[in-house]
Amino acid sequence: MKRLFPASVVFAIVIGIWYLASTVFVDEGLRFLLPTPDAVVRTAFLNQSNLEELLAGLALSARVALTGLVLATVIGLVWAIVMSQARWLEHSLYPYAVMLQTVPILALVPLIGYWFGFGFSSRVLTCVLIALFPIVANTLFGLRSVDPALRDLFALHGAGRLTLLVKLQLPAALPAILTGLRISAGAAVIGAVVGDFFFQQGQAGIGNLIYIYPRRLQSEMLFGAVILASLLGLAVFWLFGFVARLATGWHESQLNPQPTGGTK
Amino acid sequence: MLTIEDLRLQYPNGTLAIDSISLHLKAGEFVAVVGPSGCGKSTLLRAAAGLLQPTSGTISRKTDDVGFVFQDPTLLPWRSVLRNVELVAELRGVSKADRRGMALAALEKVGLAEVAKHKPRTLSGGMRMRVSLARTLATQPSLMLFDEPFSAVDELTRGRLCDDLMALFAAEHFAGLLVTHSIAEAVYLGGRVLVMSGRPGRLLGEIEVPLDYPRKPSIRFDPAFAELTSRVYALLEGS
Repeated sequence: MKRLFPASVVFAIVIGIWYLASTVFVDEGLRFLLPTPDAVVRTAFLNQSNLEELLAGLALSARVALTGLVLATVIGLVWAIVMSQARWLEHSLYPYAVMLQTVPILALVPLIGYWFGFGFSSRVLTCVLIALFPIVANTLFGLRSVDPALRDLFALHGAGRLTLLVKLQLPAALPAILTGLRISAGAAVIGAVVGDFFFQQGQAGIGNLIYIYPRRLQSEMLFGAVILASLLGLAVFWLFGFVARLATGWHESQLNPQPTGGTK
Repeated sequence: MLTIEDLRLQYPNGTLAIDSISLHLKAGEFVAVVGPSGCGKSTLLRAAAGLLQPTSGTISRKTDDVGFVFQDPTLLPWRSVLRNVELVAELRGVSKADRRGMALAALEKVGLAEVAKHKPRTLSGGMRMRVSLARTLATQPSLMLFDEPFSAVDELTRGRLCDDLMALFAAEHFAGLLVTHSIAEAVYLGGRVLVMSGRPGRLLGEIEVPLDYPRKPSIRFDPAFAELTSRVYALLEGS
């Protein structure tokens, strides 16, 4: 409750400013530029058929984002694990991970369209490309940050690479991996919306709707679609934050309880 | 149990850490190595464990059953205390049932059986160090190497942990090699104290500690103890 209160106050302020701006500063004839919050709610969320259209688009985009995120997670983990095995592998493969992050996705869109069509597959691929780097970078950082003394302990008792990876590196890297996953989850939602803009074959995702509504001057629906897309991003960010708290309760970034005893 | 002959160890960056050190550790003997910070004590111990390869010289161990206690407790924070103590046995392929028994017995020895299910972060620094000791003791190694194991805890806890180690040494009869920068700790625990110079580490001399085991904590206030620490200090100062 304590954590919800400040966010609720900010929410109320934002709605108030929005209301003020659309009623005071925008001429009634130009109201489509900034519809009032209540008009958005009435048109986008309280009208059954409009809401169904938006939710269907949101469901498709969520499916695209989730598929892309799962693929990006698998590829990113394997990529980082391979790079963590030797410096020469890292030097060989890391520049390509950086390139994926830095190349403008718009430059790849025509190629993705040629190779994978203009439907679901290409939307998913866009998500993968956008979501991959945070997982690769964070996982590699986590795997590389293991306490050297613990590495020595494992080496002293004859642990091989697989044992070291499974029993030490991956558990130790889990907080970093989950941080990467949290960033990637938000990026995957952006990827799904961006993908919708360019790959418009098949059922419309929330990005398609965001593309279409302004062309029909359906501002209330546009705002509704943007709000839902933002809520999807928030929901996945919170979900992975929750998962991180569950999975890494032992980590310093989580609880900070008092010791159970003295020095004895 | 452990023989080091004419050990010389140079790091890839050219730093000469150890220059010509020889030592012999017999079964059931406890030897302490004392020296200033950066003299290569930890390097010596890591080489003795086989974690570093000598540039020249030889290291021979009569056993592969080597226990190593690090400066920090080096526990896995995601595992319970019990599963941390099982770790060494687990890495050596001991069955789950057997290693559980070994771990519980080791925790009994260090007086921490009641916190077996706790996570390490809920324990104090001294308790974590005891868990680390238990992990090393669980497989009952015949050679134990201690790398300034109590340097991360406060003075009072450090003294208590030394007393615990003394009791464990008396009960378990392992051969122990301890490196430390504490002269009192070296004299209290060691049957012999080897004194190292600053970098590159060389042996300046060796002082016999003719005090019977098990030594009581009160021996620290004995005039003979004070005389021995003075001799070690004088040798170190001479360096």
